[in-house]
Amino acid sequence: MNTLAREVRGAHEQERKDPGSHITPVWHYLAVLATLLALLTLSAISALFPLGYWNTIVNLMISVIKTLLVMLFFMHETEARTLTRTTSALGFVWLAILIGIMLTDFLARSIVPPPW
Amino acid sequence: MNASVNEIESLRDRGLLEKQFDDPVQQREAATLGMWVFLSTEILFFGVLFASYTICRILYPHGFAYASRETDFLLGTIETGVLLTSSSLIALGVRAIKLDQRALAAWLLAGTAALGVTFLVMHGFEYHKEWTEHLIPGLNFARGGPYARAIELFFCLYYFITGFHSLHVLAGVCVIGGLAIRVARGAFGPERFTTLELAALYWHLVDIVWIFVYPLIYLVGRAG
Repeated sequence: MNTLAREVRGAHEQERKDPGSHITPVWHYLAVLATLLALLTLSAISALFPLGYWNTIVNLMISVIKTLLVMLFFMHETEARTLTRTTSALGFVWLAILIGIMLTDFLARSIVPPPW
Repeated sequence: MNASVNEIESLRDRGLLEKQFDDPVQQREAATLGMWVFLSTEILFFGVLFASYTICRILYPHGFAYASRETDFLLGTIETGVLLTSSSLIALGVRAIKLDQRALAAWLLAGTAALGVTFLVMHGFEYHKEWTEHLIPGLNFARGGPYARAIELFFCLYYFITGFHSLHVLAGVCVIGGLAIRVARGAFGPERFTTLELAALYWHLVDIVWIFVYPLIYLVGRAG
């Protein structure tokens, strides 16, 4: 009974901690923007060097980093609850499953030809 | 923020807290969660287009590199910068409203909408240029050679992806422009800013979509 009461109180205290009321300093936003623009310049310049497949890989990695910066700092994922964070990751996870499973088919067609 | 029973009742009386929620924090978290569910459907909406792009690019790597070189590298890069900047402006706008700096928040939101319009205008110039260069499949397309079909496919995907993205930007501009006016009229404040936060989440997601459009549409085969 006591444990239950403590758990209920604990849950309430977690609810009361207001992530929305947190005020991020202005320079955080400006630093993130500067990093994003620097990454944009980097991806534009890297595209001009002949790196073969690596052009695409490098540029997509830069895009992932940019997305993480936007999500963590602009979308306040650093302050969000675990449930919100999980939900926000879910869309990307389903997309990865969609593209991943599709690729197992397309990339394997030359290795495993269809039986008909 | 340990809201007492009286504070909670006062919030309910002023229409700041709906009946089903214990306190404003719970209410805001529920709203954010719901918005993320909606944004997940948006990710999958654009995801299907990116999935088709992946398959087509695997099938026609050279044609796609050739077609990508026909897009406007400089305009695409500037458009990306414009969207990234607008994202930081709306984030600062939400911060300002939390601090009750309403005039500043209204200007920041208006700036976000203005950058959105700038993006749309620049994209309009791109579409116009592609029309004059005969790069619109089905309407005005004239390309020969071994890569003609692949280029046509690339530009089909280009118009679907950037077209739907521009529609999203247009929706965002309307919503954020409207919010800027409401902020200027004093409709929001430190106790009521969830609507702004949700609009900002939407705008950031539109930005994220473009972050992936940029390398996949504009940067393929630039070095070749």
